[in-house]
Amino acid sequence: MKRRRFIQALAATPTAPALLAQAPPAPSVAKTIPNSGNDAALLYATPDAAAETVLHFFTAQQFAALRKLSDLLSPPVNGAPGSLEAKAPEFLDFLLSQSSADRQQLYRIGLDGLNAQAKRRFNKLFADIDAGQAEMLLASLREPWTYDAPSDPVAAMLRAAKDDVRRATLNSREWNLAAAAGRTRGGGGGLYWLPID
Amino acid sequence: MAESKYDVLIIGSGASGGMAAYTLTKKGIKCLMLDAGPPIDFERQRVSKAAHELPFRGFGKPGKLSHVFQATEFNANQWVDETQVPYTHDPKEPYNWVRVRMIGGKSLFWARMSFRFSDYEFKAKDHDGYGDNWPIGYSDLAPYYDQVEPIFRVRGRRDGIQQLPDGVFIEDTSGESESNKRFIAAARERGIPNTKMRTSMGRGQFASSFNLLLPDALATGNLTIVPNAVVREITVDKNTGLANGVNFLERQSHREMHASARVVVVGASCLESTRLLLNSGIANSSGVLGHYLHDQFYITQSVQAVIPEARDGKAPSGFIGGGGYMPRFRNLKTKDKSFLRGYALDWSTGGSPDAKYFPLYGEALQKAMESCRGAGFSCTVMGEVLPRADSQVRINKGVNDAWGIPALHVQTRYSANEFNMAKDAIATLEELCHACGWEVLGRHDQMFPPGYSIHELGTCRMGNSPKSSVLNKWNQSWDIKNLFVVDGSSFVTGGSQNPTMTILSLSMRASEYMAEQMRKGEI
Repeated sequence: MKRRRFIQALAATPTAPALLAQAPPAPSVAKTIPNSGNDAALLYATPDAAAETVLHFFTAQQFAALRKLSDLLSPPVNGAPGSLEAKAPEFLDFLLSQSSADRQQLYRIGLDGLNAQAKRRFNKLFADIDAGQAEMLLASLREPWTYDAPSDPVAAMLRAAKDDVRRATLNSREWNLAAAAGRTRGGGGGLYWLPID
Repeated sequence: MAESKYDVLIIGSGASGGMAAYTLTKKGIKCLMLDAGPPIDFERQRVSKAAHELPFRGFGKPGKLSHVFQATEFNANQWVDETQVPYTHDPKEPYNWVRVRMIGGKSLFWARMSFRFSDYEFKAKDHDGYGDNWPIGYSDLAPYYDQVEPIFRVRGRRDGIQQLPDGVFIEDTSGESESNKRFIAAARERGIPNTKMRTSMGRGQFASSFNLLLPDALATGNLTIVPNAVVREITVDKNTGLANGVNFLERQSHREMHASARVVVVGASCLESTRLLLNSGIANSSGVLGHYLHDQFYITQSVQAVIPEARDGKAPSGFIGGGGYMPRFRNLKTKDKSFLRGYALDWSTGGSPDAKYFPLYGEALQKAMESCRGAGFSCTVMGEVLPRADSQVRINKGVNDAWGIPALHVQTRYSANEFNMAKDAIATLEELCHACGWEVLGRHDQMFPPGYSIHELGTCRMGNSPKSSVLNKWNQSWDIKNLFVVDGSSFVTGGSQNPTMTILSLSMRASEYMAEQMRKGEI
């Protein structure tokens, strides 16, 4: 077999950094696929473009706290969508429902703790406190980064949520659309490996 | 049994197996190569997607590939599925066994960092009294490095660093940014050398057995590749005691087959090769097979800093960007009291620090990240791990893979030597950053679990005596003279360098010896 024939399948450069890093965003919301028998191509949309996530995991109070927290952590800035527009809390409800028991406990205990703190200090649920009050309850997020997560369960949840909410926002359909429109940078995307038969 | 039409049967198509095929077929030797994985068509196998188009929005399915920290939702399907090919370890001693089963093996995905070992590795015991020397020295392998580097088109800069020998490089003539000059000067003042990263450029920036070795071997007409062949055991002729082939199962149908050849070469990667020999019950008269597992410990994002002059996009052209490689500098001419051997540093400037390093949230976080965009410094520490007899693998007869083949149990952990080394690395890096006037955002000395580097080595070590090693200095089994193991399992020490160039050179050297022995009728 000739070298050219052997490697003609290679269209890209699959080095470790290239594969582990994020590639430029794929711009499509809906995609065009080849169509046999018709001249017109079929267009498909992702579920997020057409429907809402049915919530299963958090209690109503926990979810209300998560929505408030998400808005504080990743608000809309300079035309880029915030976490609420990106439906990050709804996505996290789904993700947590699939996650390990440890991860589930981290969020449940943390959000319950946040509500308890808000109740104790301000006689309100976390979802109902104002920005100044929230700043007091999120003080642990202004501590310098350490490798080990905080031992306090609320602080540990806040640290996890800071990362998860941001990521769920940056990887959302809404962020991708904003990036395609030039309203923000990035938008997660890359080359996806199909399952091997 | 009918006489085999193959001279050599090669198990594995990655760097070591590929180099064996490349070397042997050019000498007119008929080779059969078996690999557990399928051939991959990169164009068909990968599609461009946005993260939101994936089922888990880029987070990945929780619990899938829990040992493969390199896995993302994008690349999850490229790694071996642990539910299909399980392994076990004590929950308190995690081991990250990262595997690829495709034609080309892990050489499809390596970071292409291409270094030589020196006699600080080959003759390590002579230097510090710990462990064992290799049965070969740098001068034995240098001629093979000389041949391998042009095939892989290694780019680098010749700096005359004794512990990181120069090679046959495509000369890297690129300059240094002003920030890098400052960092290099601060290191030099402390006796720490620096060089450009040494990288296999390959062809089209793809440097794999798949495109650099196997096509040439096939072009000789002397190589037959059979994908999807999961080798269960090496078979031995009861009369001669020689290996006569292998039994394998076809990956999808599980049909069992036997393939025969005059010589068997094992290059299935360190732990798969060891697992195969252990499951075959051969090549272990020394009792050493499976012992001395080691790798390199990795600490990524060990020190994260910001270069103040580059904040807010104020860096002038040429001020920041690029990186370098600082090879081992500890315990060369002096002796550190807290640890043996040393570590290397892979550093870069011009990146953007992750959100986690900023003690902020909301709009303030966004502004801070924007301010530091492209102003970062980051470094990965790669440390030598001491080979120890009690760092080992064995067969777990209670757990089988999807083909009914007994799984491996891994028992290893890092020790005070590695932990002390890690502390020294972080303190050194922080000192360098402060000397440069850079603001350290975060630092940590927590290495990933053993295995993370994907540089597993040593479980089928070579040596000078059949009583204390599995292989002789030609990667040849002491017990079965027509059996060779040519991958990283043959290493005696691992150094702090990426081992791929050494694996390739050892495989080429072993294959040339093998061909000569076959010509003489010795095997």
